[in-house]
Amino acid sequence: MVQAIVFLPLIGALIAGLLGRVIGHRVSEYITTGLLMVSAVLSWIVFVGFWGGESEVMRVEVMRWIQVGDMDLRWILRVDTLTAIMLIVVTTVSSLVHLYSIGYMHEDPHRSRFFAYLSLFTFAMLMLVTADNFLQMFFGWEGVGLASYLLIGFWYTKPSANAAAMKAFVVNRVGDFGFALGIFGAFMILGDITFDGAFAAIAGNEDVTINFLGGEFHALTVISLLLFMGAMGKSAQFLLHTWLPDAMEGPTPVSALIHAATMVTAGVFMVARLSPIFETSAVALTVVVVIGAITAFFAATVGLVQNDIKRVIAYSTCSQLGYMFVALGAGIYSAGIFHLFTHAFFKALLFLGAGAVIHAMHHEQDMRNMGGLRKKIPITYALMIIGTLALTGVGIPGTPFGFAGFFSKDAIIESAYAMGGNTGMFAFWLLVVAALFTSFYSWRLIHLTFHGPTRADHHTYDHAHESPNVMMVPLYILGIGAVLAGTVFYDVFFGHGEHVTHFFHGSIVVNEELIDQAHYVPLWVKWSATIAMLLGFAGAWLAYVRDPGLPARSAAANPGLYNFLLNAWYFDKLYDTIFVRPARWIGRAFWRGFDDYLVDQTITEGLGNRIKGITAQVVRLQSGYLYHYAFAMLIGIAALLTWAIAAGGLLG
Amino acid sequence: MNDLLSNYLPIVIFIGLSALIGVALLVAPFLIAVKRPDPEKVSAYECGFDAFDDARMKFDVRFYLVSILFIIFDLEVAFLFPWAVAFGDVGWFGFWSMMIFLGVLTVGFLYEWRKGALEWD
Amino acid sequence: MNSDITSFASLAPAFPEMLVAAGAIVLLLFGIFTKKERANGVAMAAVVLLVATAGIVIFHPAQGVIFNGGFIADEFARFMKVLVIGGAAFALILSLPSSRQHQLDKFEYSVLVLLATLGMMMMVSANDLMSLYLGLELQSLAAYVLAAMKRDSARATEAGLKYFVLGALSSGMLLYGASLIYGFTGHTQLDLIVDQIVMGERSIGLIFGMVFLLAGIAFKISAVPFHMWTPDVYEGAPTPVTAFLASAPKVAAMALLVRVVTVSFAPITSDWQQIVIFLSIASMVLAAFAAIGQKSLKRLVAYSSIGHVGFALVGLSSGTAVGVEGVAIYMAIYVTMTIGLFACILALRTQNGAVEDIAELAGLAQRRPFVAAMIAVLMFSLIGLPPLAGFFAKWHVFLAAIEARLFVLAVIGVLASAISAFYYLRIVKTMYFDEPVLEYAAVPRELTAVMGVTGFLVITYFVTVGGPLAAAARVASGSLF
Repeated sequence: MVQAIVFLPLIGALIAGLLGRVIGHRVSEYITTGLLMVSAVLSWIVFVGFWGGESEVMRVEVMRWIQVGDMDLRWILRVDTLTAIMLIVVTTVSSLVHLYSIGYMHEDPHRSRFFAYLSLFTFAMLMLVTADNFLQMFFGWEGVGLASYLLIGFWYTKPSANAAAMKAFVVNRVGDFGFALGIFGAFMILGDITFDGAFAAIAGNEDVTINFLGGEFHALTVISLLLFMGAMGKSAQFLLHTWLPDAMEGPTPVSALIHAATMVTAGVFMVARLSPIFETSAVALTVVVVIGAITAFFAATVGLVQNDIKRVIAYSTCSQLGYMFVALGAGIYSAGIFHLFTHAFFKALLFLGAGAVIHAMHHEQDMRNMGGLRKKIPITYALMIIGTLALTGVGIPGTPFGFAGFFSKDAIIESAYAMGGNTGMFAFWLLVVAALFTSFYSWRLIHLTFHGPTRADHHTYDHAHESPNVMMVPLYILGIGAVLAGTVFYDVFFGHGEHVTHFFHGSIVVNEELIDQAHYVPLWVKWSATIAMLLGFAGAWLAYVRDPGLPARSAAANPGLYNFLLNAWYFDKLYDTIFVRPARWIGRAFWRGFDDYLVDQTITEGLGNRIKGITAQVVRLQSGYLYHYAFAMLIGIAALLTWAIAAGGLLG
Repeated sequence: MNDLLSNYLPIVIFIGLSALIGVALLVAPFLIAVKRPDPEKVSAYECGFDAFDDARMKFDVRFYLVSILFIIFDLEVAFLFPWAVAFGDVGWFGFWSMMIFLGVLTVGFLYEWRKGALEWD
Repeated sequence: MNSDITSFASLAPAFPEMLVAAGAIVLLLFGIFTKKERANGVAMAAVVLLVATAGIVIFHPAQGVIFNGGFIADEFARFMKVLVIGGAAFALILSLPSSRQHQLDKFEYSVLVLLATLGMMMMVSANDLMSLYLGLELQSLAAYVLAAMKRDSARATEAGLKYFVLGALSSGMLLYGASLIYGFTGHTQLDLIVDQIVMGERSIGLIFGMVFLLAGIAFKISAVPFHMWTPDVYEGAPTPVTAFLASAPKVAAMALLVRVVTVSFAPITSDWQQIVIFLSIASMVLAAFAAIGQKSLKRLVAYSSIGHVGFALVGLSSGTAVGVEGVAIYMAIYVTMTIGLFACILALRTQNGAVEDIAELAGLAQRRPFVAAMIAVLMFSLIGLPPLAGFFAKWHVFLAAIEARLFVLAVIGVLASAISAFYYLRIVKTMYFDEPVLEYAAVPRELTAVMGVTGFLVITYFVTVGGPLAAAARVASGSLF
């Protein structure tokens, strides 16, 4: 069954990719989508088993992979609770996105390639989450990176898409470099790169130090930080976040699947999976919290002023990923996974809803050219409202009533408070402010897109229409998830400590004491997020419904701040100056100086010309005159005689 | 020393005799032959063309053919003499060796005959 | 004197030679007493004769030293004889389809090839400086005539004349060397010379003799600087004759060289090693450079063969059993590739005549894909790319050189090999990437068959013949040490 879950998408990808031209687009779409749905159903069966109390870790050996020295790696599909959660997230969202894409991409001439990439991505992601050792995880990690690259650059005739794909790939390389070093470090210190073996080896190696960059450091801290570097790259955390907004160049279903629900959460998954290692290092956990909190705040601020509907959601994703990392760093891993789980539903819903809007508007993405769409596409509007309610975390504290994001986000904010100390308070306040901003930019999106008089051109607006059913059905399903995912699963992720422990059954570290502390935070803490949400809502209403001139006026009043936010804190410019340009300069130097001049002109062509010159001389020796030939023979024998006698030492 | 030299006495006699005969044969015509010279007779004979002329001239290859064929059979005879002298020592092996040698030469002779190399025209 | 000749049966080691000799004479007689049109029939009979001879050599080998020490039949001779006979037989087959336009449709052609083969078999089996010279001259005289056989062609007669004059010069050198060696050791028999060298001191006279002897043989294998005749003769001679000259005589002369240096001059290995290394480096380097400048396919093959002799000499330079094994393997593969290559060259014909310029191969891949593919395979093999046979040939000799710690030689060899890749690849490029200009005539079946066989051997060398060949070469070289 596990094999089927993992390999059905691969089979689909191979069929659509290799035979797509033969069997046609329609068949490719049906095959990939059908296989993924089967995979999703099987995943739910597995998950329900764990939810219902199953606790045994499933380990299915596929093959013996690598045997070198003491390393005996097997390719094992490992399914425990954490994996089961990821399985349903990945396969459910993926199969819905497949289905949705049938409608969304129906005009594209390369649909079977698109579906092959989607299925390939899903396979890689499943490889990542079912990994039993670091190397398998790395394989999946790079596999999703590749699929992401291919999908961002799917419309390869667009230069901006290619640039974005490259950017995503290169920025991820930075993270992957850290990840790879982390794996090497783990192998060096712990002597084993299977997860069970490595975790078991932690016990004896807590105080080992490692020489890194010339200094002695606590080995496990170094390893954790390196691994976290990988997570930062993949999950677009602060400093390595720049690729995610650009990745929106890909088709919208891709944004929903890869850049919202699944791949970007791989970093969160990885930290949770390796929680035993992170637990050994307070420094590493602090770094995780600080980076996560800064990301949540930073991305939320940038999201306030973006005009592209997908970019708003992209920054929102970035921000929400920051939330998840705060939970992980606070030591309540289950809360982070909880948010990952709920976020997948409502963020995929928002993205696919945005896709439906874009679809209705004939590929218009700028919200300044929208407005008033509520009347034209009421069902989409309703679903987007549900997504927004879930994202902003609407619910009544202390009761089981609320949208999905309400439970998981509040859990994180409470966790940050419970963590305490300077770090905890820093994270707590940043998250609360970020929640306010989240609410503001979410409602701003709704207002700009759906409310008020339309700013779209007459023609587009008149032709705006509801999307076909094949696109709407996934939205309904995700809508159900966005409403229910929080309240239904609250207990096992963030309920009683015992329940959580029982549910996860050792697949991640669960600190019951800390969870209990998070439950007993002061009342104002529990309400803080809700209040922030309401403030944000009110602000958005004020600025975009009551007084639509306000945003322009305040932007004009604070041009510095406005541009700072609009340009995402100038990170792209900064990186362009300190990394991209020097890199290009070095590349140019190597190209012109080394490759062009030294290799091409001097060695290749120069040597070639030299050889041609020698050839001309040698050919001239062959004069055609008999006496020249005879003379050459005599010269030759004279030389040989002289040499033989001189070298033979017969002269003296 | 005298022993050694006396061993070579027959050779000395041979050399002396052959020199004598050679000189006699050269001198005798001067003394007794009828002398009636004409330009054809007094010109040097060298395979039918002038001995003291440009070397790059056309000549008839048949002269060479004949002389080469002659040399082959000349050498054959030259081999036959020592073989005949040593015949008693070389035995059957020597006998058959020479027969094969003669046979091969005969084949060569047949070849040149059939090819018409022996006919001047 | 005739003590070892007790019966006809005791001549068994020389039966193959006797068969070829008798066959040649019979065919000559048949030829002169029958009509001219039978020339191809004579050629077929000669092929059959050669196959029968090869059969005796392979399946009923008799070993021993006969003719008063003048003739030896050992494993090494057996290995080389098979190559020589095979090369000659295939060269004859190659000449069949185009014998008329090359004016080779005379029975003398086949008889001369047989006689040359007999000479080469004598060379391979020579155990005495005199029998060595006999074999060498028999082969050479036949080859001179073969080269000049197309009497109407000025180029062919010029080639024959140059070959003859320079060949006579080299024979003179060889003979001079042989007489010096006899003078300083008192023996002409190879295995007795070595005893004298062991006992006596090595003298200037002996070294002199050896150098002259080696120079004479070097002419036959066309090693630089005794190679000057090769391009002119290969270009001028009729193509089937070139195929013959490029294959079998090289093997025979190489066998001769190997036997002389390893048997007679084993005690003064360091002396002859110097010379062989010089010949090897000069051949590899000069051929690599000179071939780049060639426009004619046959001249290019001439330089290519000079280069390959240089590579084979790399193996001999080591002076070890492994090296000789490498030489044996190299020559076997070299003969195969050469025959295949000439089959391809002969297959390239237009209405107006043979294609001889490299530029005329343009677009061959579109017009004659099979021939082009075969040429490409052979070119890659000649470069020495794995997994083709040519790679293993070079691998064996370079391995021997490295084991003998001749690193500089090996490095120069690899560099020369790299340079030589240029002109081989240029042919492939011309065939596959240039626009076709010529219409080619149909390819005769015989040539297709030869191309197929050699191509198969070259491509599948590693899985088919490689193992048995290496084993046979090991046995062969073992009989010399």
